[in-house]
Amino acid sequence: MKRALDVSGVDSGYGEVQVLRDLTLHLESDEIVCIIGPNGAGKSTVLKTVFGLLKPWTGTVELSGRDITGEEPEDLVRVGMGYVPQVDNVFSSLTIDENLKMGGVARESGLQARIDELYDQFSILDEKRSAKARTLSGGQRQVLAFARALVMEPEVLLIDEPSAGLAPNIVKSVFEDVKKVNELGTAVLMVEQNAREGLGISDRGYVLDQGTVAYEGDADGLLDDPEVSRLYMGGADYEGVEGE
Amino acid sequence: MIPLQVSPFQYVANGVVFSSIIVLAAIGLSLVYSIADFANFAHGDLMTVGAFSALFSVGFLRPMLGDAGVFGLPLWFFLALAFGMGAAAVISVITDRVVYQPVKGSDSIGLLISSIGVALVYRALVFLSFGTEPERYGVPRQGPIPWVRETLGIAVTPRNLVVVMLTVVLVTALHLTLTRTTLGRKMRATADNADLARVSGIRTREVIFAMWLIGGALAAAGGVFLGLEELVRPRMGFDILLIIFAAVILGGIGSVYGAMLGGLVIGMVHELVPLFNQWGIIPVGSRYAAAVAFVIMVAILLVRPSGIAGDSG
Repeated sequence: MKRALDVSGVDSGYGEVQVLRDLTLHLESDEIVCIIGPNGAGKSTVLKTVFGLLKPWTGTVELSGRDITGEEPEDLVRVGMGYVPQVDNVFSSLTIDENLKMGGVARESGLQARIDELYDQFSILDEKRSAKARTLSGGQRQVLAFARALVMEPEVLLIDEPSAGLAPNIVKSVFEDVKKVNELGTAVLMVEQNAREGLGISDRGYVLDQGTVAYEGDADGLLDDPEVSRLYMGGADYEGVEGE
Repeated sequence: MIPLQVSPFQYVANGVVFSSIIVLAAIGLSLVYSIADFANFAHGDLMTVGAFSALFSVGFLRPMLGDAGVFGLPLWFFLALAFGMGAAAVISVITDRVVYQPVKGSDSIGLLISSIGVALVYRALVFLSFGTEPERYGVPRQGPIPWVRETLGIAVTPRNLVVVMLTVVLVTALHLTLTRTTLGRKMRATADNADLARVSGIRTREVIFAMWLIGGALAAAGGVFLGLEELVRPRMGFDILLIIFAAVILGGIGSVYGAMLGGLVIGMVHELVPLFNQWGIIPVGSRYAAAVAFVIMVAILLVRPSGIAGDSG
């Protein structure tokens, strides 16, 4: 089976400022992979570059074996990639139903059937179909953000910090939803500040430091690695204190 | 028999007519602000362009159609209105391609300043093509509708009614477009969050194209109605631009429904000034109508800083 996503040798950044250096990572088609790392390591930049919001300076990005380096987000949505931004990830003045319809503007057929399917899978949305998205709680909003991206049935979903700004008790349920997204057949590449929780639901992980991969491996392995734990998870004693 | 004391309802009726014009213009201004992300200072002159395009078409429509009429107005007027709306829509799209798209790389200030330049170009073209004198569409003079005068004691002409009714039709059509069609939802989504719209696969170019068509056509309708009610003047749109901005800001800048509400309030206040004066609420007369409208705008913004329909915070 082809890899869902293959990023190799990518340099990228904003304007003149380089953020990513020779970044290489991949995602198998049934995996959840979590990118962790300190603030400013370039975690979100990875997702933006993969999704074409930033153009790679060098290197290649392949989606299921097809070279998509430098393609526009509007086009990537049409070939099997979805992206959930960290903030402002729903259309707050539109209803839940309209948000989902907007998630599927690029679908050629079966939009309503797909939306109904998502209502079945995420019943919280079903109850609020005609409510404005701004009336949702933080956790519900995150579910809507996932669902909006899933209308296109992407092979790969990029999720930027699903736990950002959420209360600790909500974080758990949002990660459960990420797992659910994966179980329903989408490979997930996620960036997470909350390293332990993020790796906790992931198959593999990458530790990003200064724009390049410092460590990689099975999620369990990274969680157990004393070096990674000390350097990037604030050590066991500081758990829960880190974060933005 | 003009009554000595003008009925308060007369001012309200005048307010509804003037509000209609402001609402039509405010919608387009608000659409551009929310979707293309800049304050379009050419919007007033776009109204003028629409009004004069309609005037131009009267030149060939009237001989063709004669003076057969509907709803108390000659048929050619309605076709001239459609012509003006179409012309302003096309000119808006062309302006976007020629001026705004190339400048887009800068920021909203760059676009704003460019729009001032566009306004001057529009006005100069109108001066060059039609001269500086006020014009009329040449719709036959009309008396007030008799039964309205008898029942309510106010003077409403058929053209007043046509202006208000067509505004209601246009605003309803816009509402249905925004809420019931995919294009409309895309426009609202882009206005709400342009980055997320792009990420969702919405092609922004298509949305911006539709925005200019709709905004331009509605501005022209406002311009033609203003020309019908008053005169078709080369500075008509520019002179009314600040009032339109006031309506948009009052409603909550960027909100189309806010612009409608703001237009209604500002237009109404503008026309009710003589009544307020008559009742002793304010010490100034209709000469200060615009100033009073601005004072009301400031007063409302002090209570609701983001406008009537704006997001709080």
